[in-house]
Amino acid sequence: MRITNNMLINNMMQNLSNNLVKTQKYFNQLASGKKISLPSDDPIVASKALKLRTDVAEINQYKRNTDDAMAWMDITESTLNHMTDLIHRAKELTNQAANGTNTDEDVFKIREEMVELKSQLISLGNATYAGRYIFSGYKTDKPLLNDDGTFNINVDNSEQIKFEIGIGDNININVPGSDLFNRTITGATAGSKSEFVDTFDKIISALEADDKDQLSSLLGDLDDELNNLLRVRASLGARMNRVELTAGRLEDDNINFTRLMSKNEDVDIAEAIMNLQNEENVYRASLATGARVIQPSLLDFLK
Amino acid sequence: MNNTTYMGIEIAMRGLYSSQRAMANIAHNIDNTNTPGYSRQVINQTAARPLLVANGAGMLGMGSDVVGVDRVRDTFLDEKYWSEVQYLGEWSVKATIIEDIQTIYNEPSDFGYTKIINDFFSSLQSLTTDPSSLATRAMVKEKGIALAKYFNSVAAHFDHLQDDLNNMVNAKVEEINNLADQIRELNIQIHQYEVMGNKANDLRDYRGYLVDKLSQLVNCSAYEVDTGLKLPNGEKETRFVVTISGKALVDHERVMHLKCESRETKLNEEDIENLFEVSWEDGNKLNLKSGELKAYIDMRDGNDGQIGSNGESTPNCKGIPYYQRKMNEFVRIFAMAFNEGIIDIDGDGILDNTEGHVDGYTLSGNTGIRFFTMLDEYGNPLSSADFEARALEYAAKSGITDDPSTPWDERLVAGYQKITARNFSISFDIEDDPSENIAASSKAGEAGNNENLNKLLAMRHNTYMFMEGAPEDFIKTVISSMGVDGQQYNQYLDVQEGIVMQINNRRQSISGVSLNEEMTELVKQQQIYGAAATMIRTYGEILDILVNRLGI
Repeated sequence: MRITNNMLINNMMQNLSNNLVKTQKYFNQLASGKKISLPSDDPIVASKALKLRTDVAEINQYKRNTDDAMAWMDITESTLNHMTDLIHRAKELTNQAANGTNTDEDVFKIREEMVELKSQLISLGNATYAGRYIFSGYKTDKPLLNDDGTFNINVDNSEQIKFEIGIGDNININVPGSDLFNRTITGATAGSKSEFVDTFDKIISALEADDKDQLSSLLGDLDDELNNLLRVRASLGARMNRVELTAGRLEDDNINFTRLMSKNEDVDIAEAIMNLQNEENVYRASLATGARVIQPSLLDFLK
Repeated sequence: MNNTTYMGIEIAMRGLYSSQRAMANIAHNIDNTNTPGYSRQVINQTAARPLLVANGAGMLGMGSDVVGVDRVRDTFLDEKYWSEVQYLGEWSVKATIIEDIQTIYNEPSDFGYTKIINDFFSSLQSLTTDPSSLATRAMVKEKGIALAKYFNSVAAHFDHLQDDLNNMVNAKVEEINNLADQIRELNIQIHQYEVMGNKANDLRDYRGYLVDKLSQLVNCSAYEVDTGLKLPNGEKETRFVVTISGKALVDHERVMHLKCESRETKLNEEDIENLFEVSWEDGNKLNLKSGELKAYIDMRDGNDGQIGSNGESTPNCKGIPYYQRKMNEFVRIFAMAFNEGIIDIDGDGILDNTEGHVDGYTLSGNTGIRFFTMLDEYGNPLSSADFEARALEYAAKSGITDDPSTPWDERLVAGYQKITARNFSISFDIEDDPSENIAASSKAGEAGNNENLNKLLAMRHNTYMFMEGAPEDFIKTVISSMGVDGQQYNQYLDVQEGIVMQINNRRQSISGVSLNEEMTELVKQQQIYGAAATMIRTYGEILDILVNRLGI
């Protein structure tokens, strides 16, 4: 084949430019830390990258949701804990009033404390988390109970606030006050008396009348309230448990998916540097040979 | 025998002339080593017409004669080059434009669509955990605006790109016309030279070079046709013809230009106004098969083969209208699902009417508010009510009525066709008062009720929302199919570059100037010149003897 000067030059330029394209590719990879800069560099990696980004973003949001859920449920749980203590104390006092040989003054003191306990119960029923009433169902902007123990709002047992903590995985984080403060009646209507508070009211009137039989039978009611409370607590505990498990899993998922994301799109630095070095060597070699090939011609030797 | 005195010196002089001509040719070749399209020329040298010796002793040689200068060229390679370089033109343009399109989407990155939609849904999620929070509501509004603006900006970039491509179409048409005119001029000149029996080597080279350039722009074939007449030197007279898909662009000295005319009606509904339609000057349809012009038109008009407004299918290529259409499809379906809850939830291909934003209740117990609407002519977001009014107006104009047997209002569904990626927006209601107007609740007057929000959030994972799946799948599909296209164009381009390079090398191998060769030739001619000169000197000495010494 006849080789002409321009062929040599064109070929050399073409090869040099090819070398530079490859060098630039590895340079870009190292500079950006990413395997690809455009979807066309590798559509599969690009499409996976989009999916994994969404996954990671979702997991992070679900994590935030579980944190919020836990905070809400922690407050609820500690409020319920206070209520349990409160019932225990009420039982103790009622027991004392029902059995002992109490002076009028003692009964009076017990009654005073019972009144105190009742108002404490009402204020626990109106407990808030970040300014929201936790037992008010969906009406988080309104307190559940009035000072006299009647309901301030209508609450239905179905008013369960649900947080999404996984794809299609909703968990209700609240305890509707109707479930807690009305033991036998389903739901709560504004203006009606809470059964829970009513038990306290009955004890207080029995104390006023010093009706020991009545007090004994009311002890049974207190037990029922306690059982109801424990039922609610048990269900809340189970849900808290689930949120905790989910939070742990989300933590793992986050690490796994972030790792997958990195594996998918981040460049292996060692490999990229090696490739770059390699290309650089080839580039230098082609420059060196190019310079040798295109410079001399017969002209240089016709002296 | 008639051996004249000066015959020898005459023959030697011819040698001088021949080698002078040859050296001039070498100079010409060397000068044009880098001239594009140039093919090296060689001297066509023959032995001069011999002298018949009368006594039957034979013919007496009369030295050399230069009868012509030929160019060394393989026209087969020219044709091959012309038929391949058009694809190089097409793929290099397409590869560049698809890169532009990919940059517009800005994916995968931390600032693209995925980020925007993730943020939007995250803000909604945050709102479910505290629906009464005014700060979170304000955040949802901002993320909603960011989502809408992303589509506005992508659409605006596409519009700019389409405008640029349209200008390129015009520029390429002018370039083609210009080349056609130049070729015509050369045809006339070449014909004039050759009709007198010369070979217009350099002009032919230049004409070939122009056809090289033309072939990159448009699929064309160029050939010479016999006129049936003979030139004075006995060769056939020819005309040079350049055709595009069989119709002559240049026929010897006649040129048929291409023209660009603004379209009366848009080819694709997604197009910007006043795109150019390219046709022949005589009004005939231009049929393009390849080349840069076709690439620009394909990327400008390509809507994946959808039927355009003129009843013909658009270029079967994913160009700007295709991506605009996909973006419009996304915002329409997404807005309709999010606002109205009209969405296919079970994958049976039939819409269902579930709860959407309009079915929810705001903080103060209002309902029927749409989250997304569109911008009006002045760039302000429409309110929910105005949007509905416009939808009904549009439906009335298009003769669409509500079918009471379906659980949704057909007129409203039709109204969503008015939304495009360009005018997508959050509604005026949300923009104006997000703390009041985001409908999180499923019932009036329940500040902590997030049921409606949860239903809206569930749509994110509804894989039947689009043909392509959930909202994120939709965009993922668009972007990965764009990536695959880009990869393909680049591969075609690589292959085509290789082929063209190889043909070009073969052309260079045959027609290119080799300095070594020219130098060798120069040395050779120099020697011959010297030898011929020596002959003349020798004859001079002989004549000196004859004239001066033989005398008296």
